[in-house]
Amino acid sequence: MKPSDSVVGKYKGAFVALDIQINEKEPQVYSLALKGEINTETYALLADQLKNIVPKAKAIIMDMAQVTYISSMGLSTFFRAKIELEARAATIALINVQPSVQLVFDSTKFMGPQLFATLEQADEYLDKFLDGVQKGRIKPKIRPS
Amino acid sequence: MSQENIFTLYEKLPTNLKQINPFLDRVFDQLAAHIKDAEQLFKVKLALEEALTNAMRHGNGLKASRKVTVRIAWGDGQIHLDVSDEGKGFNPRTVPDPTQIGYAENIPGGRGIFLMQKMMDRVEFYDGGRGIRMVKKIL
Repeated sequence: MKPSDSVVGKYKGAFVALDIQINEKEPQVYSLALKGEINTETYALLADQLKNIVPKAKAIIMDMAQVTYISSMGLSTFFRAKIELEARAATIALINVQPSVQLVFDSTKFMGPQLFATLEQADEYLDKFLDGVQKGRIKPKIRPS
Repeated sequence: MSQENIFTLYEKLPTNLKQINPFLDRVFDQLAAHIKDAEQLFKVKLALEEALTNAMRHGNGLKASRKVTVRIAWGDGQIHLDVSDEGKGFNPRTVPDPTQIGYAENIPGGRGIFLMQKMMDRVEFYDGGRGIRMVKKIL
C-alpha cells in the first residue's frame, strides 16, 4: 500500500456518512483518518477495514479529528481491534478525539484504546511500545477464555 | 409526561437498523430548535440510538414485521424518551455490569444499556423489559 491518502472506504446512507482513509506509514504501521459518524449503520465499514488491517499490523493510529459521534457499536469495534492486536503484542492509538466522542470513551475508558491529544504524543508512545516488543519487554496479552 | 411539553413525538418504526439514523437526524434537527446545549443533545441522541438498536436487534430480533414504538416529550427542562418493542422481553437484572473485571475480556457488545445509564439521569425498564423509559434534565 502506498503512503497516500487513498479513500478505501466510504459509506453514505441517506443522512449519515463515514469516510476512512488508510495509509501505511511504515511496514505494518497504519494510520487511519476517519470522518463522520460511527453509529449503528456505519460501524460495519470500519469493522470491515480493520478486519483487513488488524491481523498484519504492529500498530494502528486513528485520527479522530473529524469524527463527531460514536455509539456502542463503534466502541465495540475499537475494543475488538484492541483485543486482537494485544494478543499479538500490537497496539492501537487514537488521536485528536473530539470532546463529544471523548465523553463516550471516558465513560468506558477501562476497556478502550489509548487516547492522545497529538500525533507527536502517539508517535512517542508507539516508538516506546514497538521498542518494548522488539526487546521482549512487551508480550502478547493472553485473555482469559 | 408534563402538560407543558413544547415538543412531542409518537411514532411506530419498522424494525430496520437503517431506519434509525434517518429517524434520529429528523428528530434531532427539530429538537435542536428547542435545546441549544450541544453536549446534552449528543447524550440524548446517543441514549436514543442505543435504545432503538437494542429494541430492534435484541427485542424484535430484527424481524421486519415487528414495530418499535417511540415517544419523546420535551418541556419543563426535561426530556422524556420511551422506546418499546414487540419481543419477548428480558430481565434487566441479568445484564452483566460492564465495569466488572472480566467483562471486557469475555463479553462482546452489550454496552448499550451501560451508555444509556451514563448519558441519561434516569433509566427504567417496564413491561418485562419490552420497554424502556429515560429522563434527562436539560436546563
